[in-house]
Amino acid sequence: MVEVIGLTKLYGENRAIHDVSFKVNRGEVVGFLGPNGAGKSTTMRIITGAMAPTEGIARVDGIDVFENPVAVKRKIGYLPETPPVYMDMRVRDYLLYVAELKGVPKADLKKNVSYALERTQLTQVEKRLIGNLSKGFRQRVGIAQALVSNPEVLILDEPTVGLDPRQVAEIRSLIQELRGQHTIILSTHILSEVEATCQRVIIIHKGKIVAEDSLENLTKLKSGTNKAIVRVREVERAQKVLEEFAPGVKVRKGRLSDEFEISFAGQTSGHVMDDLAQFIIKNNLGIVELRLAHANLEEVFLSLTYGSKSSDQLSNSVNHVEEVTL
Amino acid sequence: MRGALVIFKKEMKAFLSSPNFLLVCGLMVTILSWVFPNALKMFEIQIRSAMFSGGFNNQSMNIHYGLFLRHLSYLNLILIFVVPALTMRLFSEEKKLKTFDLLLTSPITSYEIVLGKMMAALGAVLFVMLLSAIYPVSMAFFADFNWGTLLVAYFGIFLVASVYTAMDLFCSSLTESGIVAYVMAVIMNVFIWFVGMGVDIVDSSTARAIFEHISLSQHLSSLVEGTVRTTGIVYFLSLVFLFGFLNERVVESARWR
Repeated sequence: MVEVIGLTKLYGENRAIHDVSFKVNRGEVVGFLGPNGAGKSTTMRIITGAMAPTEGIARVDGIDVFENPVAVKRKIGYLPETPPVYMDMRVRDYLLYVAELKGVPKADLKKNVSYALERTQLTQVEKRLIGNLSKGFRQRVGIAQALVSNPEVLILDEPTVGLDPRQVAEIRSLIQELRGQHTIILSTHILSEVEATCQRVIIIHKGKIVAEDSLENLTKLKSGTNKAIVRVREVERAQKVLEEFAPGVKVRKGRLSDEFEISFAGQTSGHVMDDLAQFIIKNNLGIVELRLAHANLEEVFLSLTYGSKSSDQLSNSVNHVEEVTL
Repeated sequence: MRGALVIFKKEMKAFLSSPNFLLVCGLMVTILSWVFPNALKMFEIQIRSAMFSGGFNNQSMNIHYGLFLRHLSYLNLILIFVVPALTMRLFSEEKKLKTFDLLLTSPITSYEIVLGKMMAALGAVLFVMLLSAIYPVSMAFFADFNWGTLLVAYFGIFLVASVYTAMDLFCSSLTESGIVAYVMAVIMNVFIWFVGMGVDIVDSSTARAIFEHISLSQHLSSLVEGTVRTTGIVYFLSLVFLFGFLNERVVESARWR
């Protein structure tokens, strides 16, 4: 549905993206993941035809974006980083205007606007001036604007920025509902968002694609390093004792004072947790919590973008931050 | 063309519901309401003194020359400052508020964008000019005069205002700041009146002919006297097209930068 081949964009000397190629199939939800300034927005702007690449081709439904931009734009609903709303317009009038701009037939105008309003739960503010709405509402107007022409392809640039947790959850479930009817590309630097909504992830860093795969495959990338997390009461002794559990075991302090991270060398057998639990009890460490830590998307992302060295350290702090915000 | 109409409709609605637009109209009417009765009084004094001295053959005794043209020159002066105020936000605000992306990613061409904005600006200018027409039209209660010449003169000023509109809209497309757009536009509007000055300072007859052709006042003078010359119309329309085209290039360049 969306095909990008060898996209490169230079801003003067600056290389925003370099040789980016990927393909998105019809009805798929793809997450575009990367740190700030990785080139997510640039790539999205190129697909929507708001910007031309220095090199490369972008196709939507087989149509070249630069040879036939008008035909492509008919198929696309786009939410830019800043929602493109006019402060002096009322929500409904604004959506009507966008629908007309996008070439929605006259007979469908009202139906489409009502659909977009309902989907983004804006019906109760439809008569209000956009300038008087809060940031979260404006963001939702932005999403409604992308939906209003009922496009085949939805391109959402950080759709949940500025929303409160409940609204974030609503937008995520909205995206899940839209799966199948629309092809969706969404960019974000929030990992849990990708995990919640996307089937496939494209990780971009410094303008290059560093990984592109389904969610499961990506998290398997790091599965070689199986880890268990243990919390115990006997904190002072724990480190030393735990290191004796098996040959080659590494023990590290976790982010809580009584938490330890145990990395098993190589492949572990299915009984490893049984053995570990018995070992801790036998040594009277006073077990509080024991769980297996799977490599998650966060770690994959961090190791791919910031390098493996700092990934453990960073993932700890990221975990921590997320826990606080949720 | 569909896209242009959608934009025209939206911008026209924005003008008519905007307090700023009504404020501009109100201020203009205030100025004209002070200036027009004064001009009328002056015209009356002139006629009275001509009556006593018994000579009516002077051209300035005609209501068109003695009153309406003076009114139109005030209107022109006001338009130099009012047209930039109307056009300044049309592109610069879209850029500043990032709503320009919406236009750029909609299935419309950059020609349609410029055309829509231009039509809306011209609509607003026409509205302003119709307000100013109340004064000369109200004279119909007191005097019989030639409507044809008045109409042609108004048409001439409208053509000049269209040139302002095209230039000022172009200025607006160059910047993200409405104020910069306004200042640039006023300078352009004033400057275009001084281009014709070249007629007086060059020696070569070819150069003089060229300056005569690009002088705004030269082309306007016949129109305000009630004579429609195709050269004048072609001149004004080509300026409008020139700046419209440049404007379209600027809009299109957003995709290439």
